[in-house]
Amino acid sequence: MNKGKPQISFVVGEDRCLAEIISRTEIEPLLRSLVKAGPVWAVVLDEDRLPLCRQGDDRPLEKLREISHPLLVEGEPQGMLVIAFDPLACGGAEALALLARDALQLTITNNLKRMLTTEMHTSIVQESYDQLVETNQRLTKSEGRYRELALQLERKVEERTTELQKAYSRMLQQEKLAAVGGLAAGMAHEINNPNGFVHSNISTLGRYVERMKEMLNFYQLLIAANTPLQQMREDTEQRRRTLKLEVVFSDTAALLEQSLEGTDRIARIVADLKAFSHVDERGDSDADLNVELERILSVLAPQIPPGTAITKGLQRLPPFGCNPGLLSQAFFNIIQNAIQSRSEGLQLNIYSENPGDEIVIRIADNGCGIPVDNLYRVFEPFFSTREVGCGTGMGLAVAREIIKGTGGNIEIESEEGSGTTVTVRLPNRNLAAIKVNHE
Amino acid sequence: MIEFDEQKKRLVLKLVYYGPALSGKTTNLLTLHDQLSLDGRGELMLLDTAEDRTIYFDLLPFFYVSPSGMKIKLKVYTVPGQVRHDATRKAVLQRADGVVFVADSHAAQMSVNFESFDNLEKNLSMVGLSIERLPLVLQFNKRDLPDIVPDDDIRRAWGPTGLPVFMASALKGWGVLETFQEILGLTFDAVNARHGLTARFGVEREVFLSEILRVQQ
Repeated sequence: MNKGKPQISFVVGEDRCLAEIISRTEIEPLLRSLVKAGPVWAVVLDEDRLPLCRQGDDRPLEKLREISHPLLVEGEPQGMLVIAFDPLACGGAEALALLARDALQLTITNNLKRMLTTEMHTSIVQESYDQLVETNQRLTKSEGRYRELALQLERKVEERTTELQKAYSRMLQQEKLAAVGGLAAGMAHEINNPNGFVHSNISTLGRYVERMKEMLNFYQLLIAANTPLQQMREDTEQRRRTLKLEVVFSDTAALLEQSLEGTDRIARIVADLKAFSHVDERGDSDADLNVELERILSVLAPQIPPGTAITKGLQRLPPFGCNPGLLSQAFFNIIQNAIQSRSEGLQLNIYSENPGDEIVIRIADNGCGIPVDNLYRVFEPFFSTREVGCGTGMGLAVAREIIKGTGGNIEIESEEGSGTTVTVRLPNRNLAAIKVNHE
Repeated sequence: MIEFDEQKKRLVLKLVYYGPALSGKTTNLLTLHDQLSLDGRGELMLLDTAEDRTIYFDLLPFFYVSPSGMKIKLKVYTVPGQVRHDATRKAVLQRADGVVFVADSHAAQMSVNFESFDNLEKNLSMVGLSIERLPLVLQFNKRDLPDIVPDDDIRRAWGPTGLPVFMASALKGWGVLETFQEILGLTFDAVNARHGLTARFGVEREVFLSEILRVQQ
């Protein structure tokens, strides 16, 4: 388990030699008292018959008698207690020898038990310690790994956040392009209409000019031929009637007026579109939100279903410091939703007011409404109930982001089948106030 | 195997009685101690206990000397069965030559038996022994008690292991010798196959078994 580390190796059952179990200092006092009590000498021999401890005199053996008793280790004779005594001088030597044997045997057995339990205990403690060390190392390692993961996670979150921000600004741009694209279809019609009649008026005027030229040429011809005045009066009168110049003259004025009106209309549409898209503007400026709302209504005009009743209650608003292009995009999305909520009989109400320190703009319709289950999801990006290809699912998500960006908020109330009201609340602040706040 | 010294002609073998707490491992050893002749064995050594429960191990040694002078010492151990003494069990299992698994026959103890057997398998592999190759005998103890699992059920549940199964009542003294004889025989065969006890040292299986299993008169 722990390679290269010194460890107590102990196997339960390994045999022990007598010297390991009982020490000389334990045997010596016993043998000394034994010798004092009578025997001439006493010795404890180990398993190889070598003396472990000896006490008493060295007298010649022939006069003495010897008694020996085996000493058992785990029941097996492993050593020997030998005593020698003078049979004439020492009585009761057998009893003394047995007593000494029992005392030694008891010490051996108890020592062995103590050794076994101690060794077992030590090896278990060592093992538990090793396990704890190992567990600790594992935990330290995994803690390190988690810390590293956490760091990586932070970096990942940062990266993803940056990516998300980039994606978001791309998305805003795309949403804007999509709105302009949608508008263009309606606008094309709006522009083609006056363009068509201006074109037709100009062709008519061309034909009228031909007739007038012909009349003038006729005059010149008559003058060159010195036609008598009376004759000239009659001929020219005749020609004027043939060329229907009376009608031409009265029509020309009307045609010119109409055509000018047409080009004016085109100019106005272009101006609205340009103003709505704020193409010429960069960054923030003070905007009159009522003007922005009016402009949105006019660029959306081609999409408004016929017979729609539009009620406007626009109260005077203080200038609002914002990026007008972005903010009108937000209102455009909200109003476009209202317009698409019903194909006929639409009632569209747009109110603005400035109670105290906020600007409130409310856009309400009597359209299809939003089911309760969907209501909490309408601000989710890409959530759409329109058919594929008919909606990006980004309209309200973008509107909310833009409005939140100006420090305002957007709320939506709806009842399925009876209509939707969107309320936008914006802080009362102009550009100067924003700049002061930033400094 | 604890020790094998060919020069000194000395072999020390280890048998281990394993099993769940209170299944009767120590009682098995006490019964062997009571029934077998003192000639072939040493004294039973019971190490420290807590509330009469084994916390280290018990040891009963046996001895045999073959006519050729081969000395075989057989040390029979028990392990503490309580879950918390796993480290001790592992230590006692080291280098074992044979294992007797003592199971409790009581109907409520079957899952405990299985758990303990799993523990045996795990610990054997941790001390480098293979449960497939190690001589192993099962003993269902306490057959004298009521509410025990019937023989048939036991044999059906454990038969597929292919292990010898013995029914016993260590307390009443029956089935213990039979279990011991079986593990002794299997262990002898395993050691004989590896070290040629009969061929090289003239140790005869039947003589060895009958010497160790001499019943007290």
